[in-house]
Formats: sequence, structure tokens, C-alpha cells
Amino acid sequence: MGKYVVKRLLLALLTSIIILSITFILMKMLPFNKPVGTDASIYAYYTNQVNLGFVVDLSEENTALGEYLWKYVDPGKVTHIYYVKPIADQYFAWLRNIVTKWDWGTSTYVMPNVSAMYIIVTRIGVTISVNIVSVIISVPLGILLGIWAALKKNKITDHVISTLVMVFISVPSFVIISLLMLWLAYNTGWLPTQWPSVSAPTQTRVLGYIIPVLSLSFGSICGYCRFTRAELCEVMSSEYLLLARTKGLTRGQSIVRHALRNAMVPIFPSILSEFIGILGGSMILEQLYGIPGIGRLYITALNASDYNVVFVDMAVFTTISLLAGVLLDISYGFIDPRIRMGAKK
Amino acid sequence: MKNEKFSYIDSYNNNKTINVDSKDLEFVQVDKKIHDVKFKSKPTTFAKDAFRRFCKNKSSVIGAIILGILVICAFVVPVAISDSPTNGASNTSMQHVDQQFLEPKIFDAGTGWWDGTKQYSHIAYDQVNQKPAGFKTNAIIENSTTIGDDEFINSYNAYAIGGYIRLASIVKTDTSAAESVLESNTFTYNLAQEYDLDIELDDQNSEDAFVNSEYRIYLSYLDDDSEEQIAVLKDYSSDYSAIHIDLEKTLLELLPSKTIYSNARVCVAIPNETDKQNQVFVKSCVISSTTLKNETSIARLKAISFSDANTMSGIGKTDATGKENVGFWSCTGYKYLFHATIKYCNFTYDTYEAVYGNREMSFGLIDIMKYQGYKYDSLSDSYYLDESLPVYLSYDVDVGIESFQSLRDDCPINSVLSQSKVSGMGVTVYTIKCNVCYYKYCGYSSMPKFIMGTDNVGKDLFKITFNGLKTSLLLGIATFVICFSFGLVWGSISGYFGGNVDIIMERFTDIISGMPWIVVMTLCILHLGSNFATFCLALCLTGWIGTSSRTRTQFYRFKRSEYILASRTLGASDMRLIFRHILPNAMGTIITGSVLMIPSVIFSEATISYLGLGLKNLDSLGVILSNNQQYLSSYSYLLLFPSAIIALIMISFNLFGNGLRDAFNPSLKGSD
Repeated sequence: MGKYVVKRLLLALLTSIIILSITFILMKMLPFNKPVGTDASIYAYYTNQVNLGFVVDLSEENTALGEYLWKYVDPGKVTHIYYVKPIADQYFAWLRNIVTKWDWGTSTYVMPNVSAMYIIVTRIGVTISVNIVSVIISVPLGILLGIWAALKKNKITDHVISTLVMVFISVPSFVIISLLMLWLAYNTGWLPTQWPSVSAPTQTRVLGYIIPVLSLSFGSICGYCRFTRAELCEVMSSEYLLLARTKGLTRGQSIVRHALRNAMVPIFPSILSEFIGILGGSMILEQLYGIPGIGRLYITALNASDYNVVFVDMAVFTTISLLAGVLLDISYGFIDPRIRMGAKK
Repeated sequence: MKNEKFSYIDSYNNNKTINVDSKDLEFVQVDKKIHDVKFKSKPTTFAKDAFRRFCKNKSSVIGAIILGILVICAFVVPVAISDSPTNGASNTSMQHVDQQFLEPKIFDAGTGWWDGTKQYSHIAYDQVNQKPAGFKTNAIIENSTTIGDDEFINSYNAYAIGGYIRLASIVKTDTSAAESVLESNTFTYNLAQEYDLDIELDDQNSEDAFVNSEYRIYLSYLDDDSEEQIAVLKDYSSDYSAIHIDLEKTLLELLPSKTIYSNARVCVAIPNETDKQNQVFVKSCVISSTTLKNETSIARLKAISFSDANTMSGIGKTDATGKENVGFWSCTGYKYLFHATIKYCNFTYDTYEAVYGNREMSFGLIDIMKYQGYKYDSLSDSYYLDESLPVYLSYDVDVGIESFQSLRDDCPINSVLSQSKVSGMGVTVYTIKCNVCYYKYCGYSSMPKFIMGTDNVGKDLFKITFNGLKTSLLLGIATFVICFSFGLVWGSISGYFGGNVDIIMERFTDIISGMPWIVVMTLCILHLGSNFATFCLALCLTGWIGTSSRTRTQFYRFKRSEYILASRTLGASDMRLIFRHILPNAMGTIITGSVLMIPSVIFSEATISYLGLGLKNLDSLGVILSNNQQYLSSYSYLLLFPSAIIALIMISFNLFGNGLRDAFNPSLKGSD
């Protein structure tokens, strides 16, 4: 088992390095993103880029390197002319920086000359807090609804729940967010129309969680409900449950002790993977409700061509989705010892 | 064989006999030739069987019907609905600008629901014109207006009345003046005339830290050396009431010799103190004269008085009647408006009547002539009577407004209100003011109806929504076709050959599927620009993986079956095995699994466009939603209708897809 975990993690690492490398090269093929600001801040930016190994600093023009990016005479009367390095050089410099210094570059627009990694770290907290609350609410609710629907299979309760699940899964999340904002915030005025700032009173900040959590929960409640219902229905029709009833257990006992336990086997890993998956945040939600998390940051940075920030953000998203996949596979083995992931024939 | 008889006694002691006839023991089909017979029932194919199963699933059938209607609408509606009116009475080229933000309308106005009306609440009530401020009286649904009680506001509003000017002192420092002063504009008082000063003060509770204090009233003026002097009209007191001062008498008593007070200002002053802030409430301050006859001077006096605190604090703005507010008083402390009264009202407003209802318009003679059947001839630069053109009205400028007569039902002009004539330089210009039915003027034969309303530039939302749906559907189908073909080939090769080929191809898919689609999409857009083809490409880059893995699984399932082995023994090539034997068997499962790609592409497109990253020059549903996003609070229908359509298409697609899957693969039925 341990060997398999290590193998899977290494494989995920390799895949993520390949993905990040491809993205890096593709992004570096885009036009160079020149910073805006005062001479001093631009100089600081280029100095940083030189240190990072993306840009070369010459004292005189060199036409062989193409068009220069910026020409500057610093206070010490030294001329700096900046040129972009070839992509291969940049790539290796970038790898070296990450491996040796954990340096992912600096922002050009969102917070000029601030480390991109730092920007992500400061913003990921909000994203995580919103998502954790939503998971805490949606997991029990979704599973309970699923169990209820499965127990009342093909009765009116089941039909109502299944129809609602169908509708909510089909309606795009931004429609749900817009409707929630319209009804709960604009029309009735019960909730804030925007994510409250840090300085807002505690009550407002708590109320500010309601719309994001609701809109994130609808989808996952439906997902869990559908999954639980399908699994439980399958288990309910199995022979061992019939045996449990024949040996004298009541319906309730047989369901709680036998059916539910077995139905949880595939459900639990999906919760785990969802838990990791949501760290990526919902871009739509953060954008619409003005939540200063990493999803919104991604869009802001992308629209302003702040590639370093976009890049770290992408790295976070990619790593999270790969990790979720690994965790899903591994957790199967822990929950159901009969399943041996990666075992040979 | 002969007849035989058996008899026996049963358990109830009854005597029973059984007769066996030899005929009963004959072989029925002995020596007969038996051939295959044709089935009496009709034979069925797999597709027919699947269709029968599909039809049994009612929700899927409903889904399919809704889907069909939406698809037909998507292709018919954008063509069928024209942008501009077709009727001929139009005098101008129709612009959309007039009709922006019309509410959705199906029923007649006033029916209460979906009738093109909008509920307004808490709108300032214009008490002078007896209507909600800024709205047209004719478009307000009758009896829908409810006017609230008087409310107090502390900031200027053109439709508020009265209130107080609250003069508050500053906190005294070493350098500050001793008093905070509210002062009028300058005026030169000639004491040969008689002047009255009426100041009304009041005792109000402002419910904050300010304290009502003593005040004094004085006149400041410039003496002969241009030094500022003051003449105290009323010394410090706390007498909050209406004060009448005979200005010229008081001044003559103070300085009997002085008769001209140049650049004089009437001032109300309160002391500045270090430990508290004082205040006083001035309701009005009117300087008048009964003897002054010069109109300019009277107007000047009016301009330095204020009778209405609300009006005074809105200097530079216009009041409810459209006049500019005058009478500015400056202040060295703080000057606020306090408790002006205003009424708010709630009412229902017919947005269609407001735009397309009757309105007053001015026409020149040429416009009227056009309605009389005259046509412009560019060669001679003159108008001539064209018999083929309809004559809407008859009107004689020389006779005047009585001569107006409407000749047709679709005549845009209801009546002529007035007519004016300006002559000069040998040219006579007529201005004819008419009451115009605006929808007829624009060329509609009846009041237009937009069942989904109109957007911020006046486009019919119904049309642009279905146009958007068309774009989204085309994108979905194009992506589906490309992804499906590629995924099928990729999956077939990977699944059929297996081994090392499979491992390498699988790692490749791993990497592609590991990249978040939003990353792929942004990179494509950044590199290739935002257009239909880029979008399609970006969706295809990751979209084919689902089909490919589905195909691969099916190939693993079938490639070891006996019929493949048999075929291979007979010498079938790989190509033949893949395309003639395995694929046809697996096709049903693969197609039904992949058909849900269309709604998911629409979904992805809408999501990414909604984020503002997507198609910018095409009207997809996502782009429409993203454009209308800013009107969520004010014109929510702009978001609700496209959202409803996108939700409807997703739901019906899912129902349809699930039904299709159940029909083709009955073993999966019931699982979601």
C-alpha cells in the first residue's frame, strides 16, 4: 500500500511538472508584460526579473537580441537596457528558482513587485473558509436526502427529491447565485449585496457567508444526494440485505447496520476528493459576490495580464485537482480493504 | 386400437370411470413436413426497440419535446422577428435608443402580471405638478399611486419643501474666529428706501452632540475706507421665534448720519466655543422692501433672501418647476439642511406608454407635408404631390390649428396644439406643436409588445436570447462532432492495440485531462484571440477525453469476444475489425454517453463568458448574461429570461440524454 501511495504521488508530481512546464512555455510565448508605474518601481521590477533570470540587463544596445524592453539611466548614471532571454533559458532559470529558492516571481498589476506566492497565500484563506462551511452543510444534508429518497424509492418523496436534484444540477451556478443575490440581498435587503469587508461588524460578516455558502451547497447537495441514492438503491436490492432481514433484523436495523455501511464505501472517498477540489474555489461565485479569494484573483490577474500571478494560481489549481485524484484512489484502499488499488492480477 | 375403459373408487367412495379413446393417442404431426413459418408479428430492429423503450420514459419524451421546441425557436426566432417596424407611417429611421429597458409584456397594461409595467417605490412626489417626480403622468397606471406621509430629509431634494438651515459652529482654536456666521450676499442699502428683515428661527432637537445656543443678528458693511464694520441689529439672545426688524429704522437709530450701506450683508452669528459646538436653526430669512420700485433691485433683494431652506441649500440646481434656485447664503461654520419635508410615493408605471404613448412633438412644415403625400425630389430640391403615397391628414397652415383633420387610423398626429411662425431673411419657418401617438410615429400599427422586454440598447431580448441560444447550440454541436470523431479514433486505437501503445496514449490523456479547462481556455484565448473557432478549439482540446475513454473501455470489452476471433481467423484486417465489427457494436453506448457533451459545452461556454473571459464579438447566451449582469438589481428580467432559457435547455438535455441512455442500454436503467 505504502509503495502504491508513493508511486501515485510521484506520478502526480511528474504530471504536474509536465503540465506546469507546458503552461510556462506557452505563457512565455505571449508578449512580454511590461509593468506600469514610476521609474523607480519599474526599475525595481526589471531588477527583480534579471535576478529571476528572465531578462538580461546590458549596458549598450545589442540588436542581435531583438527589440529592447526598456531603457533606463539609474541615479548612479549607469545605463540599463533590458532584453528578454530565450524561452529555454527562462525555463531553466524558472525551474532553478523554484527548486532552490521557492521563488515564483512577482506581480506586475495586482500588487506590483509583491511576491506572487505571497499574494496567493494571503487570499487563499477566504476561499477555504467559504468552502469549508459549505462542505460542512452540504455533506450531511446531501447524504440524508439521498438516504431518504432511496428508502422511499419510487414513491412521491423520491420523485420530488429526484426532480429537484435534476433541476438544481441542470441550472448553472451563476444563475443560482444571481437569483440568490436578487431575492435575498437586493429585493428583501436581508443580506449584504457584496462580500463584507474585514472592517464590517461581525454580524454582517456572518450574514455575508449565507449567499456564497448556499450557492456552493446547492450543487454539492444534489451531487451527494444523487450518488447516495444510487449506491443505496443498489445495496438495498442485494442478497445479503435480504438475508439480514430473514435472520430477523428489522428494516431499520438492516439498513443502518448493513446497507448504509456498504453504501458509504464509494461515498466517503468522493467527499474527501471534493474537500480538496473545492480549495480551487468557485471563480464565478467569487467574481459575482466580490469575494477576495484566489478564483477572483485569477480573473483579475488574467484581465490585467499579470502572468506571474496567473501562473501561480494555475499551479495551485492544477496541483489541487491532481491531489484530489490521488487521494480519491488511495482512500478506496483505506475504506474498503478488499480493494487493492494498483494490485497486479 | 380400441376404446378402453378404466374404473376405480376414489377416496370418497365414489365410483369413477375413465374412457380412453384411441383418437386421443394419435401423433398429430406424424409424416408431416415442417418448414419455417414467417412471424405473424412484425420484426423489430435494435433502433426501433430502443425508440419504444425511450417513448415509455415519459420525462425523457417531455425533455425531448421541449428540446425540440427550443432548437426550432433558436433557428426560427432570430429570422422571424424583425428589428424595425414594417408599417409605412414611419417618418424617421427607427432607432432602438428610445425603447431601452421596456419591461416584459404579454398582457395588457394594468392586468397586474407580465404586463410591461414596473413597480416603483419610494420615489419623490412632485407636489407642485401632482405626480411622481421625473415620470410621465399618462404612463402611470390609474389609481396605483399611493403617497406616503411627510418624511424629513437632511439633504437637498428638488421636490422637498421647507426645513431649516442648521448653522453649526466650529470648535474654537487659537486662530479661529470668535463666531460662526451665516451671511447673505452683499447688497447696497440706501436708507432713503424702506427695508424689512424677517428672520424665522426655531428650536429643534437635532439628536446629536450639538447644543442650541444664543445667536445675534447684525449687518456687516464696508465703510468709506473699505474696512469691514458691523451694525448689531439684535444682540445675543435665545429667543427662537419669528423676528421682524425694520431695517432702515434700526440702522438710522444706530448711525443717524449714515444713509448708504455699501456691500452690506445680513448675518446670523453664533459663538464658537472650545468645549462644545453650538447650533441654531434658521427657517427663513427674507429681506423685502415696500417702497422699492426698481425691478432689478427687487430681484436682487429676492436673490439675497431665502424663504425656503431646502431651495437655499440646492443653489445651482433647478427646482421642481424647472427654475434655478437663487438666494445663496455663505457660512463660516457648518451649514446643513435640517428636516426638509418630502413625500414619497409608490406607483405602477407602464413603461410602454411612457415610450410609445402620446407625447408632444414639434414639427416643421415639411414633416406635415410628408404626411399629406408630398415627396421630396432631389433634382429640383422641391416637394411635389405623389398620388401613390397615403394621405394621413389634412392641414392648412394658413388657417391654423382648427383645420387639422386626421384621415387615417394610423395617422401619427392626434391633434395640433399650437402653431407659431417666424419670418426673417425672406424665409418663413413654421413650428407646429402636435400631440403625437409615438408608436404610430415610429411606424407600428399597434403598441409594440416585447414578451421578454428590451435590453439596455433597446434590442428585443426575446430575439437576442434565441439568437444567443443558436450560437451556443452551434458551438455545442460543432464541439461535439469534432471531439466525438477524434475521441473515437483515439480510443479505438488505444483500446484495440493495448499494451505499450495504450500506456503511452493513456499518459498523454492523463496530462491533457490534468490541465484545468479554464487554464487551457485562457491560454487559447491569449494566444489565438477570442472568437468562435478559438473557443471551439479550446473546448475540443480537453473535450475529446471522455469519448476516448468510453471507446477504449468498449474496445477492451469486445476485442476478446468469439466473433472477433472468428473474424480474425478468417483473415480480417485490423481496420476491418475496428470499423466493421467492434465499433458498430459499441456505438450505442458511446453515442449516448457522449451526447451529454453538448449541454456541458453550452454550460462551459456560458460560465466562461459570464466571467468575461469568453466570446466578445458573438451573441452567445453566456455573453448576453454577462452583458446584462450589471442590471441584476434594477432590471432583473434581463438576467432572469436568458437564465431561464439556459436552465430549460440544460434540464431538457439531461432528461433527454438520460432517456436515451436507458433506451440504448436497458441494464443501466435506474442508475443516475
